[in-house]
Amino acid sequence: MKNAVLSVGAQFPGFAKKAVVSIEKGKEFYEISSEEIKGSGKWMVMFWWPKDFTFVCPTEIAEFNKHYQDFADRDAILIGASTDSEFVHLAWRKDHEDLRGLQFPMLADTSKSLADELGILQSDEKIAYRATFVVDPQGIVRWTSVYDLSVGRNVKEVIRVLDALQTDELCPCNWQKGEATLQA
Amino acid sequence: MFATNTQDTAKQLLETVGLSTAEVPAKLAALAAMDARYLKDLKINVTNALEVATLSKKEANLLGLAVAVNEKLPALQQGFEQLAVATGATEKEIAEVVSCTSLMNANNVFYRFRHFVGKEFYNTAPAGIRMSIMANPVIGKEFFELVSLVVSALNGCEMCVTSHEAAVLQHGSEPQRILDAVRLGAVVKSLGVLL
Repeated sequence: MKNAVLSVGAQFPGFAKKAVVSIEKGKEFYEISSEEIKGSGKWMVMFWWPKDFTFVCPTEIAEFNKHYQDFADRDAILIGASTDSEFVHLAWRKDHEDLRGLQFPMLADTSKSLADELGILQSDEKIAYRATFVVDPQGIVRWTSVYDLSVGRNVKEVIRVLDALQTDELCPCNWQKGEATLQA
Repeated sequence: MFATNTQDTAKQLLETVGLSTAEVPAKLAALAAMDARYLKDLKINVTNALEVATLSKKEANLLGLAVAVNEKLPALQQGFEQLAVATGATEKEIAEVVSCTSLMNANNVFYRFRHFVGKEFYNTAPAGIRMSIMANPVIGKEFFELVSLVVSALNGCEMCVTSHEAAVLQHGSEPQRILDAVRLGAVVKSLGVLL
């Protein structure tokens, strides 16, 4: 089977999906849309895992959560996602000690439409690979990484990539003679 | 849902350099109060500068200590001393970094004068400044040179910067380590002016 993962330079697909944002009764769910994210003028980091209630996932998700503030400092909205439903997400968050304090939303791509558009569905089980997307404020994908189901991610690498994408040298000390004047 | 919140950025920034968050210095507090975007840049600059692959945590904290001493910031000095101890520095090593920073303050002025004027008499007469601590440093010769380089860069002595840069390379270190050390010095100084 041939799969084409959405990559650098592509427009991130539009979406509106339910997400779990809290374990407090009455405040559990929120519908996140690509429109709202674009409206915020921020970057987006969306990371996917295959299935809730499996072993490698909570470690990795807790690691992303540990760096939640680092993403916020970089004006990036962090979103976790899988093809599980919002109810499964909520049950998992309540069930697992490491997940109760999560600060980022868990997106429920129950119809698998977004994972499908992103090209990250594994063919047999139709679950998402461990894909990570960095999307700029204009909604353009600026970095994609896809790991196989059993391979965990390095969150610091995601932050390093974000830094590199955001850090333009604007200082005039860096000019070379003959270059155009600085545009910021 | 996705609104910005930078209220805690100033405190997190202070924590990264071992400073108490009980009292936020006035300039930092003023920036935090108006939600200044720069505060986030500064925090990222400081955390990234202290966490580089080419410097161990102990080395990064000792370099931070040298900057604090050079910039005459006692609270920051104390913060980096604590961090240095926590990451394995001995009291002798800390004392040596403080000494090295002091010595460089003499050398930076003296050699800059020689370099500015460029007359034979000044260049050939003995310097007359004791530098015995350079002979057998407990932090190792290479790191002693690196600290000397960072302090010289802060104090703007061209001759000292070029000589110590060459000396670090002679000890076999990579240019990336030098660049990371100088960036650390520059960034910690940029924090220092707000303390």
